[in-house]
Amino acid sequence: MIRSLRRALRGYVFTIAGIAIGVAGIVALGAMAERIVRFIEGGDRFVLGQISVAGRGMGMGAGFTAGGLLPAAAIEAIRKVPGVAGVQPQVMLPLNPSTSQFMTLTQELVLGMDLSVPSPNRHYRTLPVQKGRFLREGDRHRVVIGASFATSRGLAPGSRLMLEGQAYEVVGVLDRMLTAPDRFVIVAIEDAREQWVAKDRLLRTVLASGGVALRAQDLNTGAAVGWRDGEDPDVVARRIRDQVAGVNVQIPSELSSLLRQSTAFFSALLVGIGLLAFVIGGLSLANTVAAAVFERIRDFGVKRALGATDWQLGREILAEALAVTLSGGALGVLLAMALGLGIDGWAGRSGQQLFLFSPRLLGGTLVFSVLLGAAAAAYAALRIVRLSPAEAIRRGSAA
Amino acid sequence: MPPEPVLHARGLVKRFAAPSGPPIEVLAGAELTVQRGELVVIEGPSGSGKSTLLNVLGLLEDADAGEVRFGERTVSALGRGAKSRERGRWLGFVFQSFLLLPSLTALDNVLLAARYTTGVDAERRRRAMILLERFGVAERRDHHPAQLSGGEQQRVAFCRAVLNDPPLLLADEPTGNLDDANGAAILTALRDRARSGGAVIVVSHRPDAARGADAVFTLERGRLQPR
Repeated sequence: MIRSLRRALRGYVFTIAGIAIGVAGIVALGAMAERIVRFIEGGDRFVLGQISVAGRGMGMGAGFTAGGLLPAAAIEAIRKVPGVAGVQPQVMLPLNPSTSQFMTLTQELVLGMDLSVPSPNRHYRTLPVQKGRFLREGDRHRVVIGASFATSRGLAPGSRLMLEGQAYEVVGVLDRMLTAPDRFVIVAIEDAREQWVAKDRLLRTVLASGGVALRAQDLNTGAAVGWRDGEDPDVVARRIRDQVAGVNVQIPSELSSLLRQSTAFFSALLVGIGLLAFVIGGLSLANTVAAAVFERIRDFGVKRALGATDWQLGREILAEALAVTLSGGALGVLLAMALGLGIDGWAGRSGQQLFLFSPRLLGGTLVFSVLLGAAAAAYAALRIVRLSPAEAIRRGSAA
Repeated sequence: MPPEPVLHARGLVKRFAAPSGPPIEVLAGAELTVQRGELVVIEGPSGSGKSTLLNVLGLLEDADAGEVRFGERTVSALGRGAKSRERGRWLGFVFQSFLLLPSLTALDNVLLAARYTTGVDAERRRRAMILLERFGVAERRDHHPAQLSGGEQQRVAFCRAVLNDPPLLLADEPTGNLDDANGAAILTALRDRARSGGAVIVVSHRPDAARGADAVFTLERGRLQPR
């Protein structure tokens, strides 16, 4: 059986190549869709893992906690709200404020974290470090950077990074998460506050005037808030809003829904691209397999003349189609991966990754290809066995 | 005791739809009986329906009316699967255009006759090699049809036809694509086959095909007329 399949496959080189191209198209487009889906899912997971609070008003703070100042007194008040498990003051700033913030999904951000407080985010208790280590309490002028940020600047643990005229030592590089932290520069909150003052002329003027009583610990753009086990995060968020004056509270489920709405266009686009890839790739694959079977109609007529029954012939056609589709599918996957990895190698120099070859995409595409190939072969086989052997030989000889 | 008929056909009618007008009746009540060890040659002008008759006798095509029996069994009314099994059990085919499978070697083409019937075992392989040797193509056993001459291809096709030692051999213009020497060799092989006890029906244009035949018929107006 294996010998005859191997023999049969030799005659299917162009069919396998045709299938490979169709499958490669599906996988490549699917991998781009997967990449964006992972980005959106990552953001969703993040916002559902914490309650994000900012000071009321508008400021230069960026990200989910955009808003005005969140002074230490407000943070203390939040800590006392029933159901709150932990509050981590944060400063989130655009790395380069002069850059347009239109595409905030890919913006490079400085995230200052109060390292004396454990991360309250239920989904990101720690951020996974690929090289080096994460920041520890007491670390100053040290940074942990996202994978894309590191690649785009050629940074690694031990490298130096200049931020607002100050040299920072890179102590760790995060795993590639394919979501926002890939472009983060994480520092101690004290360092982030220094950078904020350095970046914001208005804040410097206000502080220099002495007109407002501000301490260093009042300089927060927001806080990540955790909730106790068994509490409903939305209820806790509303409680904070009701009990603490002068804060902007993001309700986790509302923020998640907002995020999904803002990415709905991309999601719809991806579904469209994915469907189109499956339809075009699927039609190409089915057509190639069916054509390959019909091409051998004379051979099947001869085999029936020699005593092959419908069942024997059908089994043989199906086995060949499965082997051909599986070979073409595997080749297509390899082709798409080679193409994707090549492009990512080039795009990676600027910190981009365009493709995500997830196991569900690869497995799903192979299963889809094999099922479609089998269906196309079964259709062709049914058409062929209905013909008399003489007619099959006649048609095959005339072709 | 009368000799045992291998094939008996009676009242065979076959019509084909015409582009316009009434259907064309190619077979109009053709009758034929072939005994073991008998070589029957069927002649007739091109388009007279010789190949259609052979297709109907070989269960490659259904007749519109009439009956075909192999031995004692009526096979023309069987279903597709049963007809395939009867073909594998009773018949060997030699076609004008050889009809070897291009993806298979000469040896594998011969063994194809066993693949769907007895199965390919060591005994079948041994027999296939003996046949290829007898017909002078053993050295070409690993060659594909495209690498063989027409004469070699027809000899391989003949080996395939007789591998299972079928009771009846049907040869449709077996020398049509061959030169004189190769054609003569194939006709000799067919005669030898009949002499060794097999029944053989040959459709041929060649005048020398009828030499040594036990019966010669001409297909005229859809019926077989003894010559």
